[in-house]
Amino acid sequence: MGPGTAERVAPPPLVAASRQRRLISGDGIFRALAYAAAALMLVIAVIFVIALVIPALPAVTSFGLGFFTSRTWDPVRNQFGALSAIYGTLVTSLIGLLIAFPIGLAAALFLAQESGVRLLRGPLSFAIELLAGIPSVVIGLWAFFILTPLMRDTVDPFLNHTLGFLPLFQGSPSGYGYLTAGLVLAIMVLPIMIALSRDVIRAVPRALREASLALGATNAETIWSVILPYARVGITGAVLLALGRALGETIAVTMVIGNRNEISTSLFASGYTLPSVIANEFTEAVGNVYLGSLFYLGLVLVLITIVVNVLARLLVWRFTGSEPTAAA
Amino acid sequence: MKRILVAASIAAAVLLAACGGTSTATSTPSTGGGGRVVPTPPAASLTGAGATFPKPFYDAAVYAYHQKFNQVTVNYGGGGSGAGIAQLTKNVVDFGASDVPLKASEAAAMGGADKVIQMASTLGTESLAFNLDSVADGQLKLTPDTIAGIFLGKITKWNDPALATDNSGVSLPNQDIRVVHRSDGSGTTYIFTDYLSSVSAAWKAKTGGPGKSISWPVGDGASGNAGVATRITQTPGAIGYVELAYVLQTKMKQAALKNQDGSFVIPSAAGATAAAKQFIGSSPSQFSIVNAPGKDSAPISGYSWIILYKDQTADKTKGTALVDFLYWLTTTEGQQYAVNLHYAALPPGMVSYDVFVLRDVTAGGSALLSVSS
Repeated sequence: MGPGTAERVAPPPLVAASRQRRLISGDGIFRALAYAAAALMLVIAVIFVIALVIPALPAVTSFGLGFFTSRTWDPVRNQFGALSAIYGTLVTSLIGLLIAFPIGLAAALFLAQESGVRLLRGPLSFAIELLAGIPSVVIGLWAFFILTPLMRDTVDPFLNHTLGFLPLFQGSPSGYGYLTAGLVLAIMVLPIMIALSRDVIRAVPRALREASLALGATNAETIWSVILPYARVGITGAVLLALGRALGETIAVTMVIGNRNEISTSLFASGYTLPSVIANEFTEAVGNVYLGSLFYLGLVLVLITIVVNVLARLLVWRFTGSEPTAAA
Repeated sequence: MKRILVAASIAAAVLLAACGGTSTATSTPSTGGGGRVVPTPPAASLTGAGATFPKPFYDAAVYAYHQKFNQVTVNYGGGGSGAGIAQLTKNVVDFGASDVPLKASEAAAMGGADKVIQMASTLGTESLAFNLDSVADGQLKLTPDTIAGIFLGKITKWNDPALATDNSGVSLPNQDIRVVHRSDGSGTTYIFTDYLSSVSAAWKAKTGGPGKSISWPVGDGASGNAGVATRITQTPGAIGYVELAYVLQTKMKQAALKNQDGSFVIPSAAGATAAAKQFIGSSPSQFSIVNAPGKDSAPISGYSWIILYKDQTADKTKGTALVDFLYWLTTTEGQQYAVNLHYAALPPGMVSYDVFVLRDVTAGGSALLSVSS
């Protein structure tokens, strides 16, 4: 909703000239309000960054860039580093996306198709909206009590048994850790993935689709070589939004990640994420360096989000020469 | 509870307005449960913030105090010891609560250690709760060495020989020990790590001594006493330190702990009081009571503290109400709400200390506490 929207508001037809005059000046006021609102966003963003940087300064000056490479998080000795939390954030988000992407895309293709199981579409769309509306703390609660025992007793041992030759699936599972957190994130980002991808796929011009089918392509071929390439930009946008949600998700992850400041190759192991450290420790973070380190973590999180966004946008530009539109 | 307090504070404000702000500051004193004369406070609305460990006690006591003296409402917000200290420093609250007395730097931010008083409000002890099907409540015996070994990550299996020697006749399974600790900073962690530091030089060298948050050699974090308790009940093979009250409420299994005298005790409120009695000169500067001698002493015990400014000249009425409330809190009548919730009653020596320091609270140079005993 930019200021452009205001300009496009058409006056109602058949108005008297005098009233039209008043409407024009009303337009002017509305335009000013819209500009002010847009400017306010910028001001808030700037204030936000400043308010994040200033309290972080004691930690920034103490640890500098070494903060990114240090695995120590020792409040007693006042030594802090973000590497474990950065690792945990990236790994859990990656797992979440790896699981959510294929499922989300397939579900979106199913929901966007014209013919066939029309009867299922309504209830399925409703279920997705419902899933999107569940507060993350409720998902976390479910994960803590239902998912973790399931992972510990069934899923993790199975993975260990079948894929245990990989370092990723070694060690004795406790039910908590990267894999469980990643799974929770997958559940949480699926609705975004599905809803946005569905809308993007629906926006593919019918003529293209029908032309492909008319040329003798099968449904699968049409999806693969017409629909997906056309919707690629929008789907990338959907993935980006999903990643943004996964990177910042706090409470549900905190409940199942294990909250251990360590880096492990095994996905069964417990770890930490940036938002979890902040959420866990802010209440008792006494002293400028300790509290500053938490703000520094916040800064790192914002930075990662920006870097991910920029990288993905560059990628999209290289492929299409245009900015992602539908979702990003 | 909060709603009741809010409603009550509105009612008190209305009452105050109706009286034209002339409500009298003193009336006939009433007698507390312990025979102490409890002063009748002036109408005031007090706020406090800080430690969550004593919050259930404060909430119950505050409610009872308001029932007794309708004109006073106390709103205790919790938020953690760090938050309590920060808010008291900024003068946002009337009193702060912390599981650990002020550090020198924290006191300096308040204008110096001589500007504040710190009084013990209650006493608590910690249990080591575990989740093992084959071992009954109280059956597992742990010594300072094995506790340190487990939390250092040196003892990793339940059937480790070090554990077996103390637990002959107990069927310890060949199962991983899953250590659970607090993920949030807490006084509970401070007391536990204070204990570990005092019994194990290796622990102290590795972690740098006691702290509200520390770098754990092993284990997973969970938030709050309740979080650790739930996490232990959820995880076979788990062990963690939890406030006694939570262990009793959730009916978890807890270990018998070997104290300094060599006897195995099941942590209890009585054990905490027994431990506290061993340290006659306890004060904010000598507050540690872990690893106490005495055959009944529960080894992982500690006080919880309330902090306020000595000079209450800015609002004498409020200051008087605050001192009266805190005085009541240390009497038998106030302490019974701690005992009901499985905290331990303050030993007489500490009560005397509290009353002694409360007398230092002044407004315009005159002491606010009006009791003579």
